[in-house]
Amino acid sequence: MSADVRRLDTDPGRDVGSDVGDPFARAFLSTRMPMLLTDPHQPDNPILFVNEAFLNLTGYSRAEVMGRNCRFLQGPDTDRSAVQRIREAVAAGEGIETEILNYKKDGTRFWNALVVSPVRNEANELLYFFACQFDVSGQKNAESELVRTKASLEELVSRRTQDLQSALDQKTALLHELDHRVKNNLQVISSLVLLKARRLKDPRAQGALHNVAERISALSTVHRLLYSVGDVSRFDLAEFLGDLTGDLATLLPPGQVAVQLNLQPVAVSAAKAAPLALLVNELVSNAFKHAYPDRRRGRLLVELTKPDGELSIVVEDDGIGMDAVAPSGDGFGRTLIDMLARQLKARIDWSDAQPGTRAVVTMPIDAEEAQF
Amino acid sequence: MNHHPLRILIVEDEILIALELESLLQDAGHEVVGIAASFEDAIALSQFRRPDLAFVDIHLTDGPTGIDVARSLSGDGVAVLFMTANTKRIPEDRAGAKGVIAKPYTERGVRQALAYVTASDEDVTKEGRGMTFVPFDGCRSETSARGV
Repeated sequence: MSADVRRLDTDPGRDVGSDVGDPFARAFLSTRMPMLLTDPHQPDNPILFVNEAFLNLTGYSRAEVMGRNCRFLQGPDTDRSAVQRIREAVAAGEGIETEILNYKKDGTRFWNALVVSPVRNEANELLYFFACQFDVSGQKNAESELVRTKASLEELVSRRTQDLQSALDQKTALLHELDHRVKNNLQVISSLVLLKARRLKDPRAQGALHNVAERISALSTVHRLLYSVGDVSRFDLAEFLGDLTGDLATLLPPGQVAVQLNLQPVAVSAAKAAPLALLVNELVSNAFKHAYPDRRRGRLLVELTKPDGELSIVVEDDGIGMDAVAPSGDGFGRTLIDMLARQLKARIDWSDAQPGTRAVVTMPIDAEEAQF
Repeated sequence: MNHHPLRILIVEDEILIALELESLLQDAGHEVVGIAASFEDAIALSQFRRPDLAFVDIHLTDGPTGIDVARSLSGDGVAVLFMTANTKRIPEDRAGAKGVIAKPYTERGVRQALAYVTASDEDVTKEGRGMTFVPFDGCRSETSARGV
């Protein structure tokens, strides 16, 4: 090829298409890949030869490019550092691949995937530089299109996330507000009952209202604890029993009956909290109210355990025992206990604690609660 | 009760709750000097009646101004107890209050709070776990089981 190329030197304008027999030269001429050769031994590394594909790509005629340095392809937006890299490689006699923004004769920009290779002889002397060009504008545009799309999608997602977050914040605020309302309303209900009780002269009527107030108080305790864990769906039964027995112990003078608590950490679903609270409230308040008359001293035991995947609550007093208790009131308390047990699908086993009464409430725990 | 009667101001916008609390406090031997439902009323009553202690709900008729009431009253030397369903609203510095009673409270919670404020230890009963009244300094009462 070198002999043929040296011949081109003499007449750069000549169309050499027809009289080059060398297959490599013919390939060089015919290929649709734009290519050129430059001569680094001449000042400014001028173009020695270009193929038709190069001329088609760039829009120049052979006469316009032969003998010139390739920099005529650069333009105002060409990246200067890419140019610098090419210059340095050429100066060092090395090859380089890079994408560079180039300009056609009519000013159209295109992205040029440029591959420059030094051509050396057997003695490793640098003869020429051989450069291929490839128009990758399509890919580049697709790339930047992709980047733009990605950026706008990210912005969309970010805005959507903000909207969702603010909706969630609003719902959470509403939930807090609702919880606050419920608690306040329970306080109002309790106040209504107690205020009325104060105005009644008949002690039995007062007693009846105070009974109601106590049950409201049990429900109030449920709600006070219901959201405190931050999770509205579960209810800390152990904490509740501690609170409840503490509250009910004030039914008797302090110190008369010692409260013994044996509570394992157990949580139940919020739906069970209210009926369970009312049930235990009946058991414990009965013990305080009826098992220890005439300043009888004693001990009340409340146990909470989870044997074999069931829930077990034990309320045991060492007082005068159920048989000795005169039937009082209208039996509503006992009815309430049975009804609530039914609602909870719980079993209540009564036994004589000798002395005193032992009530054991056994309840199934469903699979979800077992995880608590 | 072995203590001298306190002059107590109730700052609460639900009148029924305020009235029942008033009765409760009177039963406990104290004097209720007024019931205020808003920030302005609370400040005015406090300056006019000079209470020793104030029970302050956070949500009043003019918004969550109970915090400002607490700050102002405690600045004037009134012992302040928050009474609220919304303990999360209480700022870090507690606005000068001495404790909080969580709503819906029981009589026991109020009595615990009174016992704490009057610091008469014979009134403070040994508790099990958890309670309505939470004092803010934590170390005076053995009943402080749960921090706010």
